[in-house]
Amino acid sequence: MEAQLTDSVQMSSVHGKTGKTHLGRVLSLLLGALFIAILYSTVIGAVRVPVQALLQTMLGHQALSQEQEVILFQIRLPRILASALVGAALSVAGVLFQGLFRNPLADPYVIGSSGGAVLGASIGMFVLPQLSLLGFSGTALLAFAGSLATIVLVYWIARVGGRTPVVNLLLAGFAVSIMLSYSSYFIEVLDEDYGLGMRVLASWLHGVIGVPRWTQLAVVAVMFVLALALSFPLARRLNTLALGDEYAQQLGIHVEYVRIAIIVVGSLLTAAAVALGGLIGFVGLIVPHVARMIMGPDHVRLLPVTALAGAIFLVVMDTLARTLLAPSEMPVGVLMAFVGGPFFLYLLRRTKKEYAV
Amino acid sequence: MIPLLKFSQACFSYAGRSIFEDLSFTLAKGECAALIGQNGIGKTTLLRLAAGIVRCSAGSVSLEGREVQRLSRTEAARLVAIIPQQVDVPFAFTVEQIIEQGRTPHLGFWGGLTVADRKAVERAIELTDIGYLRGRIFNELSGGERQRVKIALGLAQEPQLLLLDEPTQSLDIGRQLELLDLIRFLNQTGVTILAAMHDLQLIQGTFSSVLLLSPDQGLLQGRPSDVLKPKILERAFNCPPRQHPVLIAENRFQEGTAV
Repeated sequence: MEAQLTDSVQMSSVHGKTGKTHLGRVLSLLLGALFIAILYSTVIGAVRVPVQALLQTMLGHQALSQEQEVILFQIRLPRILASALVGAALSVAGVLFQGLFRNPLADPYVIGSSGGAVLGASIGMFVLPQLSLLGFSGTALLAFAGSLATIVLVYWIARVGGRTPVVNLLLAGFAVSIMLSYSSYFIEVLDEDYGLGMRVLASWLHGVIGVPRWTQLAVVAVMFVLALALSFPLARRLNTLALGDEYAQQLGIHVEYVRIAIIVVGSLLTAAAVALGGLIGFVGLIVPHVARMIMGPDHVRLLPVTALAGAIFLVVMDTLARTLLAPSEMPVGVLMAFVGGPFFLYLLRRTKKEYAV
Repeated sequence: MIPLLKFSQACFSYAGRSIFEDLSFTLAKGECAALIGQNGIGKTTLLRLAAGIVRCSAGSVSLEGREVQRLSRTEAARLVAIIPQQVDVPFAFTVEQIIEQGRTPHLGFWGGLTVADRKAVERAIELTDIGYLRGRIFNELSGGERQRVKIALGLAQEPQLLLLDEPTQSLDIGRQLELLDLIRFLNQTGVTILAAMHDLQLIQGTFSSVLLLSPDQGLLQGRPSDVLKPKILERAFNCPPRQHPVLIAENRFQEGTAV
């Protein structure tokens, strides 16, 4: 890690063409790694097949039994693609929010979207259980709506005289988030069918990536690509915002518009991830950190690297969550807390200078 | 000829306290002016008004004959660059990445530095002579190095007017002289300069004119030799200062016992 850090410093000192090849090399490496991760996690599980058989089947040869094919392509692959999307979305949202708050410790849930998502989910579960749209359950849909509505609410509360001080935003997000979380517990308590609902909601809160329908995957994939495309023009403005609001304004940036845009795009990404996987912590914190160590702080270069690294990371984590305690499964959110928590603390201790985190 | 910077009867108040009333002055192209005055008199505020960061409540501030309020942020940022006292960067950006931010007002929606942008960055690095700092992390630089990088960032904007807020603050004497040398050099290359200065001894020989903000005489503008006179400065800076109230009380006490 130390070596990579110095390497990245030297690399960023070489501008122009050399910097670009470096980025290209990292991206192609990550792309290859993602492909391999997806391939291997598809063949691993209660039903194991050799990788060669999977590759042959993908090339049109009949190498798998019908049963194996159903398990691999209709159960495992959608889930693996879902975890890749969730990981990528949470990581990109992490980069955006960390840049927005000028704080490497911010994460997608910090401005209250988790609280809103939880409340939306419990309303969906207990009040409108029949609702569904585009293959998503009412729970996921209302989680999405709750997350967006919360961000809008928090932003509106934090806004003072045409400006939105970051401290206000963080405090409002924190307070609203806690209020919403307890409101959802309140809804649970009111519900008569206590036992079952509790279990479903709990599994949802702990972050479980289920087996999504292909329509669900397609919708989230479109949301993700759209949000990523919108992130690129925002990324260079985030570099300027790192100099401080007033300096960025002096350089011609419309700080307030950029902020709103980042909040909307960041919430879109968070909501997309929440809809597929519930609440999974630490991904949006750890992946951008590691990417920053390798690539330096330039947000334009960070975006594609974190997207791919986040996808790989969550594919691996979800495969572990699915296989470590076989035949039973643990929520990937729980595994993330076990693995991600200590790793994050290690990063925090290891980094001597706070700005370099 | 239209002055580069013109304040006409500009008023500004902050938190209910009036800071400027009917402030008027002009700054011609090519000038190198020092802005002086006692602490809290509004030197930074004047620079911020000139850069269009804050707006005057009455009167006007214009750049090249156009009211700064009417300029878009990008237009203003191409005309004027302001170098603040303090710049904090939360991430480990390199010096070169920081200076590239100066091109922001010249970039299109999607960004990306063109050859011209790259050239402007190189020229800013060359003018401030910080090529050797290029790959260093901005947050790890010394005060003097940081000051030069901040000026390079402003120069990368390719402004007509460079506003400096106490550029020699917290620098040792050697770095102060280096910085004045840089200011003289930049002025010779055609950049108009307005710098809020703390140390009056550094003004002679570098600045061609002085703007003095004074609590009871309003704004005085003139050549350094005309403005930097003991009588004028004593009034403007309240010298000698009033005695400390505790000291006055103690004196009275001692007088009391003497009687």
